[in-house]
Amino acid sequence: MSESRPPPPISTMLMRGLFEENPVFRLALSLCPAVAVTTSLKNGLMLGVAVLIVQVLSSMSGSLVKHIINPKIRIPVFTIIIAIWVSAMDMILAAYYASVYQEVGLYVKLIVAFAIIISRMELFSMKHNVVPCFWDGLGMGLGFLAAMVLTGSFRELMGSGSIFGIAVVPFKPLLLVVLPAGGFFTIGLIMALFNWVDIKRGHKLPTSGGGAHG
Amino acid sequence: MSKTIDQAPPNPREMLIIAAGLTLVCLVAAMILGGLYFVTQPAKEHNLQMREQAMIRGLLGLSPQAKILEVRRYLRSTGTEGRDLQVIYLTARKLVSMDLNGKELGLHAVPDEVASSTSSELKNEWVFKQIKTSDPEQIKYAGRFFVGVEGTQPAGYVVEGVTAGYKNWIRFFMAIDSAYGIKGVEIIEHEEDPGLGAEITQRYFKNQFAGRSLEDIEKITVTKDPLPADWLTALETLGDMPFQPWLEKYREMLPKNPNIHAITGSTISSAAVTNGIKRALGNFRKRMSLVEKYL
Repeated sequence: MSESRPPPPISTMLMRGLFEENPVFRLALSLCPAVAVTTSLKNGLMLGVAVLIVQVLSSMSGSLVKHIINPKIRIPVFTIIIAIWVSAMDMILAAYYASVYQEVGLYVKLIVAFAIIISRMELFSMKHNVVPCFWDGLGMGLGFLAAMVLTGSFRELMGSGSIFGIAVVPFKPLLLVVLPAGGFFTIGLIMALFNWVDIKRGHKLPTSGGGAHG
Repeated sequence: MSKTIDQAPPNPREMLIIAAGLTLVCLVAAMILGGLYFVTQPAKEHNLQMREQAMIRGLLGLSPQAKILEVRRYLRSTGTEGRDLQVIYLTARKLVSMDLNGKELGLHAVPDEVASSTSSELKNEWVFKQIKTSDPEQIKYAGRFFVGVEGTQPAGYVVEGVTAGYKNWIRFFMAIDSAYGIKGVEIIEHEEDPGLGAEITQRYFKNQFAGRSLEDIEKITVTKDPLPADWLTALETLGDMPFQPWLEKYREMLPKNPNIHAITGSTISSAAVTNGIKRALGNFRKRMSLVEKYL
């Protein structure tokens, strides 16, 4: 199962993560941390960037070790790979980039439990070489980042009346949106928009979550 | 899964290989992380210390020439029962051990290289050596506070406190004046949820404690009422403005907002910090009355 297949073109790999297989809006993965964190644009952006970096690194390292691991233990091995990258990032940031760490420290620790990362390693890194894995990881990471920015800005604008902590409207239009339930409503609405655009463009809807049950 | 794998029960030999493989992977991972920890830990500790010192100066409004003295507290159990407990304080001048009622049991002078050191490890080791316990498990580090000294006069205290947060400990600094009133609160370490409990680090929450007297804090509770807009504006300015002028300007707003307004969706974290501060302030008053003459 670890034979390398010819990879799809780079543009496909990048766009797939952003649109057709957007981790949040099409695959509905990692909704729990996504909902918890996206109460503001800044939070969403930080988590998105952290996930992007870990996704790229983990996808690439998954591809490097695919030939030497027993397929039966690949899931625990992937989890350990992700944990190594996350812990390493956490320690290096804390030691050498103290000011950055103060801002992103919390988000970095959350990433170990992210389903998107392990699902990309399982679905893509197991079958492809390092370079396509970089592009796939980048696409998926960017897709997640875009989803976080979109959700975060919507929730901050509607719930707190501000963007990046700067007040845009002088009142709080809909406080519900910043609460956890509001996070699910927001993601549901954007998900519906994605599906609507998809139908308009004449695509068929995938029957269940785009084929990835991470 | 896109591929099905052979689900027949593995034979013992295969199981052994799988177990050995997993063990190996974990060992390699542990070695990588252990090595990295070893390399990064000193830098991380140094950063933390610099941040703490800067925070103490900020909280007490100290000048750059002011000195910050650390007072460490240890507990020593001499018997198996809790009543045989001794409290040991390491101040900048003295190492004093006392019983729970404050009766002095032993006193040592502290050499300069220990007093001026910023390394908590060095201080702990020196204390353990002085106490000469046969069993190192007997004595435990139990907390610390700082005295800001401006010239020769104490300019205020900063107490380090811990409280159980939503998932993990919340560590905070609390600045206190000589009348045990609170001058400010900073959250140093926490693992609350971003966007919810993590809001305890925001000015609109932590500054609600500033300017309260000991009696105010003893009565304080957490309320779910929304934060009034004028009080919010006042809270957001502390930090841009030093504590004293801030208190002069907004003093009359404190009695109008006698309780701590909880963060929306994070009552547990809000209550955790409030109770932690209540407890830490009460304890500090008792301890200070015992240790004051040794400072």
